Amino acid sequence: MRLDNVAKRYGFTLPWVIHDVTLEIPAGRLVRFEGKNGSGKSTLLRVIAGVSEPSRGSVTGRPATGYVPERFPPALPFRARDYLSHIGRIHGLTGRALASAIDTCLDRLSGRELAGVPLRDMSKGMSQKVAVAQALLPGSGLLVLDEAWTGLDVEAKAALDEAVAERLADGGSVVFVDHEPGRLGHLEAERWQLDNAQASRVPSDDSAGGETGGSEQRPGPEDTE
Amino acid sequence: MIALIWYELSLLLRSHRWIAPAVLFALGVFGLGGATLRHGAGLGPGLAWSALVLVPVEAWLTRSMLTAEPAASRACVAAAGGPRRTQLAALIAPAVVGAAFGLVGILWQIFRLGVPRAAGNAIRVGELFADLGGGLAAGLVCLLVGSAVAVLLNPPVIRRSATAVLGTTGAVVLALAWNGSPANAAVRSIGYAGQERTWPAGVAMAAALGLVAVAWTISTQIAARRDG
Repeated sequence: MRLDNVAKRYGFTLPWVIHDVTLEIPAGRLVRFEGKNGSGKSTLLRVIAGVSEPSRGSVTGRPATGYVPERFPPALPFRARDYLSHIGRIHGLTGRALASAIDTCLDRLSGRELAGVPLRDMSKGMSQKVAVAQALLPGSGLLVLDEAWTGLDVEAKAALDEAVAERLADGGSVVFVDHEPGRLGHLEAERWQLDNAQASRVPSDDSAGGETGGSEQRPGPEDTE
Repeated sequence: MIALIWYELSLLLRSHRWIAPAVLFALGVFGLGGATLRHGAGLGPGLAWSALVLVPVEAWLTRSMLTAEPAASRACVAAAGGPRRTQLAALIAPAVVGAAFGLVGILWQIFRLGVPRAAGNAIRVGELFADLGGGLAAGLVCLLVGSAVAVLLNPPVIRRSATAVLGTTGAVVLALAWNGSPANAAVRSIGYAGQERTWPAGVAMAAALGLVAVAWTISTQIAARRDG
């Protein structure tokens, strides 16, 4: 898929949150966005995921998309399985394919016992598992992860890492933001830095450069986890 | 699209946010309607009353739906189904519930007021169909007006709760009472034979359809562009 001169602002008088972003996300590509708080990472991810349309520019060739938002609210009147069934059906899954996709996604996150639990009764970690599971349902295409690891237990974090690697190997693409600099460090990622609404590609040999961001000084990837 | 509508409908029904509008409908049609309409007045005024009650009920249902979904879960659904189609589904779902209420209202009026009969107790089929056709059309106009009013004055178009609630209430009163309103015109056209008709039923229908088309377009456009 491609973004051409994509710009986004939330009102005619408001400043651009992202401006003039052109990038390509080919099949099999892992893309990481970095930047300060409020640099437009989440907005760019929402545009890439198709949740929000750009104010200017175009997004073309987006495949089936799963999106994990920064904070998934448990305040929905569904049990996990009912919720996942709804999302699966919206993705075009039906019958046994839908049931097995739900089981696969929950099993993968060791969340099978969550199936019958109302979302309202879930802890943050539990509902985050459901958030990840709904994004994995399509099984192929684009996965957009906005700090999706936050709140997951160690086992589920590892399972998500594995799901990302599998998705890339299957020819899907993954776009992510995470506050852990070492996240998915074992996979080859294309890195982009967001600053002043502009996105710039971080050269691949620069392992820790462009990482600084005002109040958010971070350790290099090798220092974490 | 069916899956999206089904999701939004489930969200509305399971959140129990439809109950308060349902109570309003029941009070309006079964309670107040029974007190104000005399038996033998004919089916027309009964159907007109049921249609009229749909305006505030549909506005309330629509507001309930538009405020039911947390932004983050809407984002997950929009990624799967597209933001415009998702918003459209959220506008259709309360209309489906409102239409079900409307049909209950029509059945209740037939049960209560009876069908038009000639001497010798034969049903006057032509008159019955004319009444029902008029009642359905008036109900649809009122449903569309209730939806349009709520869509234009609630999130994502108007986000502040106080403004939205006051604005919607005011607009509903206007839609009911102002004789330039399509809902008022549609109800007059079937309910009060002999009273001065403002607009012909066809014009009221066209106006309601136009209003809803504009409101729904604005709402889906904003939903596709908004932040969180």
